[in-house]
Amino acid sequence: MTAKPPMAEERKKRDSSFSLFFQSKNLYKIAGLLVIFVLFLLPVLRLVWLSFVDDGSLTMQYYTEVLKEPATWKTVKNTIIVVLGSTTLALVLGILFSWIVAYVQLSGKRAMQLFIFLPFVIPSYITTLAWTQFFSASGPVTAMLSWLPGEPQAPNLYSIGGIILLLGISHYPLVYLFTVNVFRKIPRELEEAAATSGLSKKRTFWKIVLPLALPGIASGGLIAFLSNLDNFGIPAFLGTPANIRVLSTYIYEQVVGFGPSAFSRAAVLSVILGVIALLGTVLQWFLLRRSRVNETNRSDSTPRIYLSAGKQKFLEISLWIFLLVTSLMPLITMGALSLISAYGVPFKLENLSLRNYEYVFLTDSKPLSALSNSLQLALFTMLVCLVIGTAVAYLRFKYPDWSTKTAELFMTIPYALPGTVFALCMIFMWLEPIPGWNPGIYGTVWILFIAYITRFLVLQVRGSYTAFLQIDPSMEEAARTSGAAGWVKWRKILLPLLFPGIVSGALLVFLMALTELTVSSLLWSSGSETVGVVIFGYEQAGYSTYSTAFSTVLVLGILFGGGLFMLLGKLWDRKVLKTK
Amino acid sequence: MIKVNNVSKKYGSFTALHDIDLEIGEGEFIAVLGPSGCGKTTLLKLLAGFMGPTDGTIEMDELLLASKRRVLPPEKRNIGMVFQSFALWPHMTVAEHVKFPLSYHPNKIKEGKKELHERINEVLKLVGLDSMAERYPSELSGGQKQRVALARAIAPLPNLLLMDEPLSALDVELRMEMRKEIQKLHRETKASIVFVTHDQGEALAIADKIVVMNRGRIEQIAPPEILYTRPETEFVATFVGKCNLVKGEWRSDQFVPAIDPKNVWPDLGVTISFKENGIYPVRPEQFQLLPPEQNGLQGIVSFVQYQGHEIHYTVEVEQETWTIHESVFTTRFTTGDFVSISLKNAPVQTESLVPN
Repeated sequence: MTAKPPMAEERKKRDSSFSLFFQSKNLYKIAGLLVIFVLFLLPVLRLVWLSFVDDGSLTMQYYTEVLKEPATWKTVKNTIIVVLGSTTLALVLGILFSWIVAYVQLSGKRAMQLFIFLPFVIPSYITTLAWTQFFSASGPVTAMLSWLPGEPQAPNLYSIGGIILLLGISHYPLVYLFTVNVFRKIPRELEEAAATSGLSKKRTFWKIVLPLALPGIASGGLIAFLSNLDNFGIPAFLGTPANIRVLSTYIYEQVVGFGPSAFSRAAVLSVILGVIALLGTVLQWFLLRRSRVNETNRSDSTPRIYLSAGKQKFLEISLWIFLLVTSLMPLITMGALSLISAYGVPFKLENLSLRNYEYVFLTDSKPLSALSNSLQLALFTMLVCLVIGTAVAYLRFKYPDWSTKTAELFMTIPYALPGTVFALCMIFMWLEPIPGWNPGIYGTVWILFIAYITRFLVLQVRGSYTAFLQIDPSMEEAARTSGAAGWVKWRKILLPLLFPGIVSGALLVFLMALTELTVSSLLWSSGSETVGVVIFGYEQAGYSTYSTAFSTVLVLGILFGGGLFMLLGKLWDRKVLKTK
Repeated sequence: MIKVNNVSKKYGSFTALHDIDLEIGEGEFIAVLGPSGCGKTTLLKLLAGFMGPTDGTIEMDELLLASKRRVLPPEKRNIGMVFQSFALWPHMTVAEHVKFPLSYHPNKIKEGKKELHERINEVLKLVGLDSMAERYPSELSGGQKQRVALARAIAPLPNLLLMDEPLSALDVELRMEMRKEIQKLHRETKASIVFVTHDQGEALAIADKIVVMNRGRIEQIAPPEILYTRPETEFVATFVGKCNLVKGEWRSDQFVPAIDPKNVWPDLGVTISFKENGIYPVRPEQFQLLPPEQNGLQGIVSFVQYQGHEIHYTVEVEQETWTIHESVFTTRFTTGDFVSISLKNAPVQTESLVPN
């Protein structure tokens, strides 16, 4: 015996605290869940409640009213066409790319992945803006078409087809993300077994590879479906000028229309949209529940299909053309066209000026204050989510029982809800948190702050949770048997190992909050405009040149930040984690 | 002295440990041996304090470590632990790994920096890593990683050293070498060691005392040689000694196999529980094979496996299948041969014969 036993009093103190902990363990769980329920789920329930209530009594009046209107059905029909079309496009592009990247011998796959993810970090309303510039009268598409015989017109993006195209291009990276590893994890031997059983390559793909990749494809497809349903920026920018409404933009119009029953009608429409979204989530959960085939297989990223040199070059060039045209070219066009002095004039040297930038950043005061608002909101949301989200992730990791699982489910709901619906929930919840008491949160920047934390917290929880899963539990156990507890254990062992994972989660939260449009378009008030709201405002007022100038600055900032993050990540891996 | 009293551990409706009683003496080297899922890792985690027992208590030198109501966390226990996966921290050098417990363990170095560095060097020398102090885990081989894990665990001179299958991640050659290394560390640190393993050879080679576990219960606690030669339960007989359980009748000190009552076998050291059940546990090397015309039980060889130093025969005797190990220098048999089986002449194994 080398260490002295602890003093008697010390032991007593510990005894009581520990026994207290054991007695009230369930109490803590229930109290914690109750808080999470009130903050994350109650707002949704209040929205549903409000759609049934008029002047304090239950009624189906709003449902009958809304469901009788032909405009509602036209909107639902548009929504279904747009969502099905864009989901199909995202699935085809996503599966094609993930299969090629997973199986075919190509050079420059890493660079390709970066470009596939580009539409992911650029907010979709800026992508839309860039595409409208790409197809505009002074853009390169029109210029190229004018050389062709017959002078065909550039396709009109302000149409259902345009909305489908933009949604598909914005969301195929989701499908890619979900399927590429599933393809890689299908054991090569299964294909070889099929080949030795006499199946041709083509039939092997249909009979073996595709069925095994189905879980990944299904979940990727459903995420794309939900994102397409939820998206506000693209149909707002492309649909509104052409009088094409989908549910998300229709709800927005109801709320900003400020009719006598605006909120109740919007609540009814939200319930309809929420039901469609929920059906998707349930379907996804159901599909994921039944398939756990590839969980344990190792990911195999060496190519399985080798092409002749000529064919490989041809494939590489066509993929690169597609990637550059869909992701980089529109952004470059937007940057270039933001320099022309007036909308519609040709792109020539004498027409170039910094006049738009001068207006956006010097004459008009809104963009700069919006940038400062958004940066502050994003920063504080990130910090709060970082601390709370990581704590929740730790509990979820350490005690994987019903309570933490339910907590995570509750936190997922605000993120899974369409943004317009979620914004409405926030209004109903925080206008009068307790019926009869209005603390004046709605109408200030605080509602945005609360909304962002509620919506994006789950991203940090997931990011940190993944980081926890990736470190072996024995890392922490070794620290504890070495005598480190509490803060020392975190500071010396856990945080250095978790840092990259946690930071990428935090940056995702930051990026989402910085460029957020849907929620803020309904929750902003004078003085609390966000970046998204200002760009949307310019676009609605017809000042395309100003919105492109502001967007260009944002895109440059995001790309710079992203590059910096990747560089720092590499540096951290080398200097701190000593990986080679 | 560590005392485990009536400890049970339940996970929901599954009982991982049933009423475990165990005493670990000062400086004792104990191996906990059992197949996967027998509860040995659960026992180790309870000793470490990563979780608490559902029932019963654990004490260390009169200090209550754990009971149903409260658990002293691992960082407050006077222990060290070596993990199966080594659990080295990728962002720390070898020296920092050793320094860590010296700064935070209950036995931490309270004197100055000089003493700390002296102790780090001393420990690194002990495990033969003094030339690698500034290396990171990614720059070490498997054996070196194992030495770092050992160094970190022994650095604060813990009362109890826990080892969770520490050699299973190493290749065979290295495993043999590290066995000696661990024995050496045990000699020099004089800590009590609890060494969990599923490899019976490892347990027999390394420990003072072996605890055999099966399905959450302790089957037998005994020094290696007693355990091997005088198993008390069928599980220990088959798991540790790979015994053939021959059915028959015990007549005082003589055994008559049921298959062929013409034979009578002497008692070479069978424990009372087997005698009560009419079983003779015969280890593969206790049998000898002779040509069929000799006296003995008649059988047919069904498989022959050449092992280099000996030959493993599988022999069908009536409905039973027995495993028999014979020296390469005896008469060889091939598949399909008829053979006569009898016990080798050996000194009677009693408990007092075993060196302690």
